[in-house]
Amino acid sequence: MSSSDLPALAGAVALALGTLAPLLRLRLDFALALQALGVALLGAAGAAVLFGAAPVGSGFRDGIEPALGIDRLSGFFLATIALTALATLLYARDYLPGHRGASPLVALGGLFVASLCLVVTARDASLFLAGWELMTLAPAAAILVRGHDAPVRNAVFVYLAVTHVGGAGVWISVLALAHYGALSGTGTLAAHGGGPEALVLVAALIGFGTKAGLMPLHSWLPRAHPVAPSNFSALMSGVMVKVALYGLVRVLFEWAAPVPLWAGLALLGAGLLSALGGVLYALFQHDLKRLLAFSSIENVGIVALGLGASLTFAWAGDRTWATIAFAAALLHVVNHALVKACLFLAAGSFERAAGPLDLDRLGGLLRRMPWTGAAFLVGAMAIAGLPPLNGFASEWLTLQALVHLAFGPAVGLGIAGMVAAVGLAATAALALFCFVKAVGQVLLGAPRRPEVATAEEVPGGMRAAPVALAAGCVALGVVPGLLLPSLAAIAPDHTSLAAAATISVPGSGTFPAPWLLVGVVALTAALWWARGSRRAAPVPAWVCGQPVDPRLGWTSAGFTKPVRLVLEAILRPRREVVMTEEGGVLRAVAYRGEVPHLFDSALYRPARRRALQGAALARRIQSGSVRGYAAYLLVLLLVVLLAVRVGVIG
Amino acid sequence: MSAATAAAAAVQVLGGVTLAPLLPGTIQAAKARLQGRRGPSPLQPYRDLRKLWGKSVADPQPTTFVYRVAPPLVAAATALALLLVPIAGVAPNWGLGDDALVLVGLLALARFAIAASSWDSGSGFALMGSSRDLTFAAFAEALLLAALILAALPAGGTALGAMARAANGSGPWSEPAHWCGAVAFALVLLVETGRQPIDNPDTHLELTMIHEGPLLEYAGRDLALLQWSAAARHWIVIVLAAGLFLPHWGGFGAQLAYLAAGIVVLCAGLALSETTQAKMRILRVPGLLMGGCLLAFVGLATWLLGASI
Repeated sequence: MSSSDLPALAGAVALALGTLAPLLRLRLDFALALQALGVALLGAAGAAVLFGAAPVGSGFRDGIEPALGIDRLSGFFLATIALTALATLLYARDYLPGHRGASPLVALGGLFVASLCLVVTARDASLFLAGWELMTLAPAAAILVRGHDAPVRNAVFVYLAVTHVGGAGVWISVLALAHYGALSGTGTLAAHGGGPEALVLVAALIGFGTKAGLMPLHSWLPRAHPVAPSNFSALMSGVMVKVALYGLVRVLFEWAAPVPLWAGLALLGAGLLSALGGVLYALFQHDLKRLLAFSSIENVGIVALGLGASLTFAWAGDRTWATIAFAAALLHVVNHALVKACLFLAAGSFERAAGPLDLDRLGGLLRRMPWTGAAFLVGAMAIAGLPPLNGFASEWLTLQALVHLAFGPAVGLGIAGMVAAVGLAATAALALFCFVKAVGQVLLGAPRRPEVATAEEVPGGMRAAPVALAAGCVALGVVPGLLLPSLAAIAPDHTSLAAAATISVPGSGTFPAPWLLVGVVALTAALWWARGSRRAAPVPAWVCGQPVDPRLGWTSAGFTKPVRLVLEAILRPRREVVMTEEGGVLRAVAYRGEVPHLFDSALYRPARRRALQGAALARRIQSGSVRGYAAYLLVLLLVVLLAVRVGVIG
Repeated sequence: MSAATAAAAAVQVLGGVTLAPLLPGTIQAAKARLQGRRGPSPLQPYRDLRKLWGKSVADPQPTTFVYRVAPPLVAAATALALLLVPIAGVAPNWGLGDDALVLVGLLALARFAIAASSWDSGSGFALMGSSRDLTFAAFAEALLLAALILAALPAGGTALGAMARAANGSGPWSEPAHWCGAVAFALVLLVETGRQPIDNPDTHLELTMIHEGPLLEYAGRDLALLQWSAAARHWIVIVLAAGLFLPHWGGFGAQLAYLAAGIVVLCAGLALSETTQAKMRILRVPGLLMGGCLLAFVGLATWLLGASI
């Protein structure tokens, strides 16, 4: 029994009690505190294992023998879950009271966190799959508690349908791996030939990829994340998609390892598509929470790029870079968890204080809500990948890995690496575009709606949680070099990296994270001081002599118009202008424009139509007549007997 | 610290801070001559900076801290980027390393600050400028990375000092990849310095400007900081272009002379292209940049094929 056993056990118990507490009609504060205590203990146990303590609990088993345990990879994900969940629980303390259905939401929140922890600590197929399904269902229930008008019901239906159809892949891959003894490592998948291997890998990529929101399997994500209560949105975008990546890492790097080259390249391709596609569609969103959801797709894509690069390097026999790419991907996992939770929680506060999150109708909230606004600003800069914040650290490492892939173990891989690197650079620039727009429209300028002009800063916990997460973003931006060796040690067949404040991977000019922060802050302060405080009297904005009228304010669509026009051939924007004339005089102009989501119209809608047609066809053989069914049974029996006779089965 | 390192450090700081405004000044003067005008003196940017430094700043209402911190932040990020650029193949260690991707990140930080400030003042012309700037940046950053990858091939990494040293001598010029990279970086040069045919630095016609737009609301020392930053960005990309993609041979002293010559040649080239080129339609610019990107891919393919044969 290792030293981390006890806290882990106590944490699990506290989390369970906290989840049950609302059902026992205990105070919600108390329930949330219990949940926080539980998840903190679990996270501490996870962090201890991550940083070198002995693994807790049992190892993986192939049979249906429920067991729990924490190894380094689980420890890393537990710690990430804990950091994010603690902030959301703090937030929920002031957010949920007064919210519709507060008591069930507290219970469901606990269940959700518990199921996330269960997935990463499960040590056999049955618990893993149980946790997996709970993780899907808990937020669906929370969304329906919050409100159930038709669009929300539709969003929940799409969420459940897509994740369950895709989730079949998870069942197939995990059960097949258990069947071949690959979970415990007693057998290997490769020993059974290419067929089962291909089946498991394709099923895993589809199953976990759907839940992670990898394009083109992402359709549910931008629908489900925005309609959930904000503390759930933060957990869904921050952690749930990462737990899906946990599954992918387990399969590709451990259970089915070593995987063939095509799996790595498929992951690279899906990652690039998600990164570029996610950020492009995020750019054109008018609703803040939808924008954040699309940005999650982008960041999952960046993680997938790192994982794909790692697999490709491993295939080519380059252990050093396989390790670095893997560590970069994990670093981006924790970075994005903190950042996205911060942004979603801040968005929830804006919604509470100022009403609907239509970007074109907000503005000037930094003055009204300085704490939340500052947290949102830091989060936006971090997710845009700006130094010296944490997003830059992981994007820098991922980019380094892709650049070194471009140097090429082979011609094709080199080109693939350069395509991915160039794509990631464009993604980073577009993410900056997207989040400057979000910051500008939400926080800066003049308020564009009366309720926004009178918004009040939110109370205690709702204010503290995003601020704490933003502080975490700054802190992780300073010390990524100290965290990196522990992350590298999780990679299979890893080479060890040295812990140092300055990250120096081979062939780079070094990335001195802390000194960049010191340099930027010190120089800015010095120049601020040099500029002095002599100011002319406050003046209205000049704008070349035009009065600044709120009606002339820039919209989201206007700001992004150049990109929309340049990429017209890809995005197919729709535009509609209706002019009303009366007696030759123009009376009114109505304008409507949107960037339709092409994956929906070109991929999902036809697929749904085909599925419904197939169902209609299947209904024809459901005649309702008993004789008919008896005939089906007879035919089935004959087919089975025939198959046995021929030797296909049995 | 060797003499070469000390000299390189001195050129980085003194050159970057004090000589940078000379570059746009020289380009303007040379352009005027090419167009048959007398034009301003190359020292005009210094006079402008001195005049601006003596004036008080204006605070348009309603703005926040974000608007006021943008000029110092832009200047700070640009100044840090200056310290990453190797001089004549020598990268003095300021504790910041000399990584190309960090440089890209610092330039992005400056771009974020200036775009956020234009949302803060709410000025339509500022927003128009940053909207276009950010659109170009999406393609320019891809192109910049592609060009940097090509320059990093012989060095085997993205350390700018090593990249500049690997470009030393005649060896790189026998590689098609180097030529492709040079063409791609020439396009980067045009975008980052805001020159024709991509942007017109002379225009104050509101509808055509890009980089000037977000500066419209600023005055006094704020504007001085921003104009210095624009000049320093000229310095960064021109010195980088000279160090990575122009021919240079020999030791530190010789390379320093080549660097000076390279800066003059590039300034003259920019003046010439400003004179001969008309401004391009904005929506055509990304196509041009993507063309540069494709060329870079061809360059990489030739390098990889050459290595595998």
